[in-house]
Amino acid sequence: MSEALKQSLDLALFWEYRAVLLSGLLFNAGIFACAGLAAIVLGLTAALMRLSRTRPLRWIGTLYVELFRNAPDYVMLVWVHFVLPLLLGFALRTRVEFHPFVSAVVALGLVYSGYFAETFRAGIESVPKGNIEAGRAVGMSEALILRRITLPQVVRRMLPEGLNIFISLFKATTIVSLIAVPDLMYRVSMVTQQEMQPLPLYTGAALTYFAVIFVVATLLRRAGERWRLGTLI
Amino acid sequence: MSNWERLVWNQRDALLSGLGVTLEICFLAFAGAIVGGLLLCLVRLYVAPLRPLAVLLIEFFRATPIFVQLMWVNYVWPEILGWPNTFFTAGWAALALQSSGYLAETFRTGIEAVPRAHRKAALAVGMSHVQVFRRIVLPQALLTAAPSLVNQFTVVVKSSTLVSVITVPDLMFQSQKIVNVWYEPIEVLTATAAIYIALIFSISQAGKQASDWLRRTYGLQG
Repeated sequence: MSEALKQSLDLALFWEYRAVLLSGLLFNAGIFACAGLAAIVLGLTAALMRLSRTRPLRWIGTLYVELFRNAPDYVMLVWVHFVLPLLLGFALRTRVEFHPFVSAVVALGLVYSGYFAETFRAGIESVPKGNIEAGRAVGMSEALILRRITLPQVVRRMLPEGLNIFISLFKATTIVSLIAVPDLMYRVSMVTQQEMQPLPLYTGAALTYFAVIFVVATLLRRAGERWRLGTLI
Repeated sequence: MSNWERLVWNQRDALLSGLGVTLEICFLAFAGAIVGGLLLCLVRLYVAPLRPLAVLLIEFFRATPIFVQLMWVNYVWPEILGWPNTFFTAGWAALALQSSGYLAETFRTGIEAVPRAHRKAALAVGMSHVQVFRRIVLPQALLTAAPSLVNQFTVVVKSSTLVSVITVPDLMFQSQKIVNVWYEPIEVLTATAAIYIALIFSISQAGKQASDWLRRTYGLQG
């Protein structure tokens, strides 16, 4: 038993494969960046639809948000990777296949856009009506009001919650290994099959993710808080 | 016979048994998370010598992705601790660990939100510290924590889909098994996604109703 403990804490094997594992972590970062961008754009669109004055748009926005906010990441990932290409294939009458990277970005982007939409909506609703009316009174267009008056306030207000969503999204990128995107977890399982030593590798992976997420999250929270307070007050 | 009938309706026994396993694992995991979270939170707040350990565990559970934790608990723990010895146990244990970190923070926020004066008043009328915690602090803390608790339960259900990876026969596992037999994923996977979305949507709606009701009935603040 103590032999196993020693083995799992001896991270030499993990260190030996550092180049392979690190390039796996880059896949996590890449998917995180692409899916995060997609989630923000889609989330803002959905939030604006939910707040629109046209009723059908509001319904579509609500349906979209409730659908993706309540879908488990892994189920969405599998659905997007195996079902969506078939449906698109029927519609376009050709054979469609998604690269695992694309499926990962689409699935995570959709799920997390649902969370972002709710955060954006709460942020937009918290902007005082008087600000928007003042914008209209001086003759700004709706798009200009959104860009110059609403969004700057929304971004500051939703920053803490937005950071939490980003952290969840980064954590969720670990499941892309299940559709064979060669990320850190995928490479860990490959090396495990080769070396037959799961203990140091899985412990190393857990510690690596913990270190990355904990350090980055703490730094971002601090920086974000300082920026938010510095500009608000 | 339509595909829906052949691939979904005729497989309903497998899918329902999978749903049963999903619910079972979620309830076990959540019960474990409540116990673990309360323990971690109490140690963090009231047991000064062990505070750094509690903080480290809370931060570790919170900052490690659930899939990584699941693999770690499943492969590494049995070798070191001799437990968990089944995939099912590893599944709920990993889910419970992750949520216990989040719930510890939820409980802490709840406990810290209880006004100091309440505690002092209770001590002044002669309650013991245990009584103060049980009768004054805990009920109010749970009231504050109720919405986050429900939210965390939906997170547990979402994460529980991953236990299929370590061959726990939950809903996701059963549905992928059907896909691997027929090679026709559209109907089964769509139905599975719909079941999960409906389940999680109902939990969060029911939770919203319940915590609104709790607040209206027992809440001090609106």
